[in-house]
Amino acid sequence: MRVWILRRLLQIVPTVLMITFVVFVMMQSIPGDPVVALLGDAYTEEDAIKIREAYGLDRPVLVQYVIWLGKLVRGDWGASILTGRPVLSDVLVRLPVTLELIVLSMAVALAIAVPASIIGALRQNTWADYTATSMAMIGVSIPEFFIGVLLLLLFSFGLGGLLPSSGWVYLPGTCPTMVCGVSLWGNLQHVLMPALALGVGRAALLTRLLRASMLEVIRTEYVTTARAKGLSERPVVLKHAFKNALIPTVTVMGLQVGFLIGGAIVVETLFAMPGLGTFGIDAIISRDYQQVQGFALITAFAFVVINLLVDLTYTFLDPRIRYA
Amino acid sequence: MRSRRLLPSFLVLLACTLSLPLTGEAQSPKRGGTLRVSYGNEISNLDFHTAPGYEMMWVAMNVGCGLVNITPDGKFVGDAAESWQMSPDGLLYTFKLRKNVLFHDGTPVDAAAVKFSIDRLMDPATKSGMRSFYESVHSVEVLDPLQVQIRLKQPYAFMLHMLAAYRTGLVLYSPIATQKFSVEDRKQGKPGAVVGCGPFKLVEWVKGGHLIMERFDKYFVPGVPYLDRVVIRTIKDPVTEMAAFKAGEIDFIASFSPEHVDTLKAQVPNAVIMTGKETTPMLAAMKVTVPKDGKPMSKERAPHPIFGDLRVRKAVGCYGIDRKEIVKIAFKGHATPWVGMNPPGTLDTVDVNHMCPYDPAKAKAMLTEVGYGPAKPLTFDIIADTEKSVFNVIATVIKEQMTRIGATANIRVVDKVSWMNTTLQDGPWDMYVEDLLSLITLDSNAYLSNSTSTWSHPRHNDKRVDELYARYAREMDAGKRKLIAKEMQEFFVENMYWNNISGSPFYMVAQPWMKGYTYNAEFEVHYDKVWLDK
Repeated sequence: MRVWILRRLLQIVPTVLMITFVVFVMMQSIPGDPVVALLGDAYTEEDAIKIREAYGLDRPVLVQYVIWLGKLVRGDWGASILTGRPVLSDVLVRLPVTLELIVLSMAVALAIAVPASIIGALRQNTWADYTATSMAMIGVSIPEFFIGVLLLLLFSFGLGGLLPSSGWVYLPGTCPTMVCGVSLWGNLQHVLMPALALGVGRAALLTRLLRASMLEVIRTEYVTTARAKGLSERPVVLKHAFKNALIPTVTVMGLQVGFLIGGAIVVETLFAMPGLGTFGIDAIISRDYQQVQGFALITAFAFVVINLLVDLTYTFLDPRIRYA
Repeated sequence: MRSRRLLPSFLVLLACTLSLPLTGEAQSPKRGGTLRVSYGNEISNLDFHTAPGYEMMWVAMNVGCGLVNITPDGKFVGDAAESWQMSPDGLLYTFKLRKNVLFHDGTPVDAAAVKFSIDRLMDPATKSGMRSFYESVHSVEVLDPLQVQIRLKQPYAFMLHMLAAYRTGLVLYSPIATQKFSVEDRKQGKPGAVVGCGPFKLVEWVKGGHLIMERFDKYFVPGVPYLDRVVIRTIKDPVTEMAAFKAGEIDFIASFSPEHVDTLKAQVPNAVIMTGKETTPMLAAMKVTVPKDGKPMSKERAPHPIFGDLRVRKAVGCYGIDRKEIVKIAFKGHATPWVGMNPPGTLDTVDVNHMCPYDPAKAKAMLTEVGYGPAKPLTFDIIADTEKSVFNVIATVIKEQMTRIGATANIRVVDKVSWMNTTLQDGPWDMYVEDLLSLITLDSNAYLSNSTSTWSHPRHNDKRVDELYARYAREMDAGKRKLIAKEMQEFFVENMYWNNISGSPFYMVAQPWMKGYTYNAEFEVHYDKVWLDK
């Protein structure tokens, strides 16, 4: 098991490098460079050439990538071309916001999907099932930004500012800057709408998937056996059926992290949250290559680590699974 | 007819412009509190002399001070300068500084600091976008600690305008802090690196998070600022911005999207919506020349394959575009159709709309004369960048209008950096829709439209434009200057070097409890006299 984990951890390195390389090449291939944004109204061709030379932007893409990689190995994530700020510190300031958003979105998704799928499976073809599957279909079909705007209009615009429309309040003890709003209640108020906007779509997907798995599992012989042994319905459903039905769902949950990061870009922009999503999109728009690389690195790393954790979860869900 | 229609709007605008300070002055201001401000765009960085974008400038003019400021009615008032004098030949400007002005690091704002700041701006190594404004400046001399003299190469009629509001004005830097910290430190807004002499000190800037300024207790104007603190957040989505405003989470929206003004009025009836003279041009620029040798920015130029022909430029830009329809659709009527290069609110503007009446039949006939028709259809691209949704709307209306004259316009939507990349680097484009920047004077548009400017995207190479700009800037007689301004604006329309569509309205929104703010568009955004009546 340890060897397997070690091997998987080592596999992270080439995967992350590959992702950062692809992102690096793609960024260099799109029109525009950060020098245009940096110089702004002071732009002259002569100055632009000098700055490109100074930042090494005139060198071949591969050379630029190797330089970036060399610095990374020494723990230097580079600095933003536009603001001069160290990328790593900017990423660390913003990471907790996005992590909290993603974790809570997944929690929202599970809080909706688990009961809905169990009810849907156990009461198949009843009004409860139809309601759950219809809601799931609607949830899958509505994009995050639309749900976000609806929530915004309802809770911030319509109900007299019941929930704050934008910004962020940190959890006690997590303020990464000199000045920030810190309060548990404030944090909950600020994260609720974004987490709902991001989580509802995932909830819908998981509901459909988990319901299908549950339907399959509750017809298996071991569930019938459990019932025949006289077990009450609760342990039959939760311990025997649900746990086994979770395996494909957990796989999808891991993969959904990528979508959550993508969705975070939209949701954070809509709710003006100081997270990694807005950091990433601003970096891409301004062609700040160093920041884009930082964003790609951290999100790729998060994605592969979470999927590693997902693989490890299989052993808990199904003890027959062993890694060697 | 037109003036009768404009009168009520003028009165409303006047009321908006004047009511806030009056309201503020009628009651006695309350001290304390935090002003919560929302920006629609991120602050680029905090080196005030080089960073692009209004958002940075609106911070700069509160953290920093300059020599003079300009009032909404165009009068100059001293900032760090107590008084100033121009020599009879117009070549020397002598500024007498106030005695008690301090930088936030405690060092005095003296003549040496003024010289240091202007020299820094003029130094090519600084790479300041303001450098071109100082082209008339020969040197800055320290006469004594409180007197500084700016010597010009030639008379310059807009010296005070330039110091007050070109790219929103000169910001004085503390020489000690500037030398102690690097440009990178200043860009990042590191504590101690950004030192100005304005009413507020920079406390912290977290990119993507917030910018916090606190009252500078030793500010040279007694009793102000009233506020303890100003907190600026960036909210890019206008719907979110409106929701935050309605919920009372923010007190002031520094730049509000014109297409949402009606919704905001309906949703928050007591919101104080401020607007004024339209000083930003909304243009549909057409490329005039392309590099002959294919090398971008080459001095060897050839006519653009489509718009290099003046007849085509006039057919499309002058007679083929219905500006009234664009304003009605894109701005819901909240803008003025305007063909002249100087927007309706800019100094020395001239209404030259009569030179380009909408006449699709004439446009079509002109295109036929050039050889365009069913056998050789005119097809061109319009670039609309994604910075503002109104660009795309205008491009779409132009596309529709082009079909009426038998031309096909294809819209290319790109992001702002791609647009800047294409236009600044002489890339391939035919027409773009953009609003560029706010113009306080016609002179300030020189660096966007003379033949040598990098920012003159159409890349016309007409030296007469440069000559007209130079004559205009050097003419010290206001009456004669107006005549040159008229000649210049007519010349631009005759040659369609600058294809204006309309003015571009600018809106700021304040909560009713925000008092004492004087609206002066993008040019002067000061919080020193603002107070909160809560």
